[in-house]
Amino acid sequence: MAKKTKEVTPPPKTSKEEGKGHRYDASTIKVLEGLEAVRKRPAMYIGSTGTSGLHHLVYEVVDNSCDEFLAGFCSEVNVFIHIDNSITVIDNGRGIPTDMHATEKVSAAEVVMTKLHAGGKFDQSVYKVAGGLHGVGVSCVNALSETLKLEIRREGNVYAQNYKRGVPEAPVKAVGKSDKTGTKVTFKSDPQIFTDLVYNFDTLSQRLRELSFLNRGLKITIIDEREKDKEHVFQYDGGIVSFVEYLNKRKTPAHKPIYIESTKDKVVVEVALQWNDGYQENIFSFANNINTRDGGTHLSGLKSSLTRALNQYAQSHDHLKKLKSTPEGEDIREGLTAVISIKLPNPQFEGQTKGKLGNSEIEGIVKQVVYEKLTDYLEKNGTEARRIVSKVIEAAMAREAARQARNLVRRKSAMEGGALPGKLADCQERDPANSELYIVEGDSAGGSAKSGRDRRFQAILPLKGKILNVEKARFDKMLASEEIRTLITALGTSIGEQDFDITKLRYHSIILLADADVDGSHIRTLLLTFFYRQMPTIIQNGHLFIGQPPLYRVQKGKSEKYLKDDVALEDYLIDLGVEGMKLKAKGKGAQEISGKPLSILTKRLIRYTSLLDLIRSRRDPRVVDAMVTAVNLDAKILKEGKAKLDAELDKIADHYKKQNPDASDFKVEVLEDKEHSSHKVVYETNYNGFPKSTVIDTEFLASPEVMELKKLRVAFNDIGEAPFSLSHDGDSKTFDTLMEAKNTILEEGKKGQYIQRYKGLGEMNPTQLWETTLNPESRRLLKVEVEDAVEADAIFSILMGDQVEPRREFIEKNALTVRNLDI
Amino acid sequence: MKTKLCLICKKVPVEKKAPYWPFCSERCKLIDLGKWASGQYAIAGEEIKKESEEEDDAVKPPHS
Repeated sequence: MAKKTKEVTPPPKTSKEEGKGHRYDASTIKVLEGLEAVRKRPAMYIGSTGTSGLHHLVYEVVDNSCDEFLAGFCSEVNVFIHIDNSITVIDNGRGIPTDMHATEKVSAAEVVMTKLHAGGKFDQSVYKVAGGLHGVGVSCVNALSETLKLEIRREGNVYAQNYKRGVPEAPVKAVGKSDKTGTKVTFKSDPQIFTDLVYNFDTLSQRLRELSFLNRGLKITIIDEREKDKEHVFQYDGGIVSFVEYLNKRKTPAHKPIYIESTKDKVVVEVALQWNDGYQENIFSFANNINTRDGGTHLSGLKSSLTRALNQYAQSHDHLKKLKSTPEGEDIREGLTAVISIKLPNPQFEGQTKGKLGNSEIEGIVKQVVYEKLTDYLEKNGTEARRIVSKVIEAAMAREAARQARNLVRRKSAMEGGALPGKLADCQERDPANSELYIVEGDSAGGSAKSGRDRRFQAILPLKGKILNVEKARFDKMLASEEIRTLITALGTSIGEQDFDITKLRYHSIILLADADVDGSHIRTLLLTFFYRQMPTIIQNGHLFIGQPPLYRVQKGKSEKYLKDDVALEDYLIDLGVEGMKLKAKGKGAQEISGKPLSILTKRLIRYTSLLDLIRSRRDPRVVDAMVTAVNLDAKILKEGKAKLDAELDKIADHYKKQNPDASDFKVEVLEDKEHSSHKVVYETNYNGFPKSTVIDTEFLASPEVMELKKLRVAFNDIGEAPFSLSHDGDSKTFDTLMEAKNTILEEGKKGQYIQRYKGLGEMNPTQLWETTLNPESRRLLKVEVEDAVEADAIFSILMGDQVEPRREFIEKNALTVRNLDI
Repeated sequence: MKTKLCLICKKVPVEKKAPYWPFCSERCKLIDLGKWASGQYAIAGEEIKKESEEEDDAVKPPHS
């Protein structure tokens, strides 16, 4: 351990010539102070007398060896922890000078070991840079050791000297010969000073590993003799680049480490940078090998140069268009692992623990060096640069979003004192399981809902979509943050990963109620998407529903009625049409039908018509009708074929022609159906001006449509035979088919009715709203399933996009459903 | 494909059982919340061209 002497310059560039140009002998050692003070107030010198101070003794000794390495004279340091927790540090440096010190009249080695602030480090001509324990030096270690043995190999001799608590037992003397050089220090820390004398292998290893990173190429070994096979060898030819790789080894790096090295004004600056896919900033800073835990001027120089270089690059390459504001330092450093190591003369350490570099000139030097080199790197490495910049942009966006989210939550917390939003009309029920929350679009509808609800268990929250006029080109719809906040407060669950609590949900049924128009469907899509993304548990637990307001409004004179869907409208019209109607088939024995049975018959006739309508795309409904009406064709007859089938086909043809006297083309063909070992009948007709093929085969006869048609036909046959007469208030009309009678009944029902597709919730008065939409007895609710929400999210993504084309396409494709986008 | 990519970063596939589903991480979920909170999510309305023509209110009853 060469304590102080020598030119120390950073390893790669150090010129040994220059180093050797100065003498390293007793004359270079200056004496500043004695050691009594150290024993009196050890914490002042080594930080503490606890574990960290204890370990500090080792670092102090090793640091001296590193200084020899930096000066270019040492390549290996070995550290031993002996079984009695004494420590030996051996280096292969030049060895501390042993000649007589000019002013102190003792050997230079003894001065180094006994005088505070003695050493080459205070004489810049010897060590240009050096770390050490802020200059207090190995003398501190000596002062705080129960025993210390010094052994120096130098100039062909081995010199030795022993100390007890800093006091030499005898002067340095030559004890043998050696052709090697180096310093060996063995010390046992003083139990009078330290409370705990046990060294921690991992703690020492960590610092030694760090030192080997910082001193590229230096080999440091540590052997723990207290246990078997406990040792490490640290040697990194990559220096701080290896350090960064080591720190990032469990991460996914975005690029190979960037290495910057430069010397300016006798200050050596080394920086290694590597961004990874994480979000942590991990920067280590060192000055003369000392870990400056509290940073300092070198670190602030690094940070500001990073921000400047990256922002400038991103700006000039047009990468910042997406951002509202320029990325900040913390955005730049998100996911960055970096090591900055500088070597400088006269380091000044500040702060309580001396963990902060204070030299003011350093900031500017680092700033300039890093900015230049990093800019150069970015310009030359486009791929890496883009990758880093895109990370930075993401970070900036995330920071902005997180701030917005925090605002939302923060203001919400202010309201958490139990105060519910003023817009909410709460229910009396306190048990969430029995409480319902209606989220109603629009204030006016909200007002009706508030009056119409059952306030015992139904709460109403009116919610409005906000309309944005985007560049005067279109009106976008969004949920204002105030509305979202109100919603969250009303739900009671809070929001965000940490805060959301489903057990605090105030209503176990949340019902979205929006108008049945495009705006309503947009609001619904927004809300569904919000629940799905931010509160999926509410959907997963089955708490979310979509209310179904009525689809039709029917007005006759002064009375109006809301009907929830097509079926309800149909029922309503039938009931009206049947009023006072009497239907009778041919013959005296035929029974007269009216009232409820007539309603049922009418409904069946409608069903029959709509079934034929469904078939239309694949078959001629007139042929199918004839088949169902005229014969009872089944698979068996089809299979047997021949005479029986022909007879049936004749009947069908007769019926068809009778019903459709104007129909022109009509061709029948019986073909073999090998797959069913049967036959199939193929009709070629002209339907609405187009040729139509109707295949009647085993499969079709067994289809649910045909089965149902046949069943209905049986019911119709029960009525009796044509003609049918329909009488109403003495008037009587006669029809050949029941279908015509049905149409007359429906027309009668519609007479004087104004039927309107209902649009706005606000059109209904509170009573109507209750009856149609709020009353659990009569309302319709759709439970939202996760799949529905996923779908809503997909629709949301399309509707939200700035890409006009996919949106237009979507709206066109879904022109029919968008109107009633119930998801 | 059942597993979808995270809705925010659009890089990481997210299983339905994942803790932050449908996002990959707390951070992405937070970014999403931030977008809601700052009104960045808007459904694009129809283009404003001429006067939007009012649709005929009266609708034919389902069967006639």
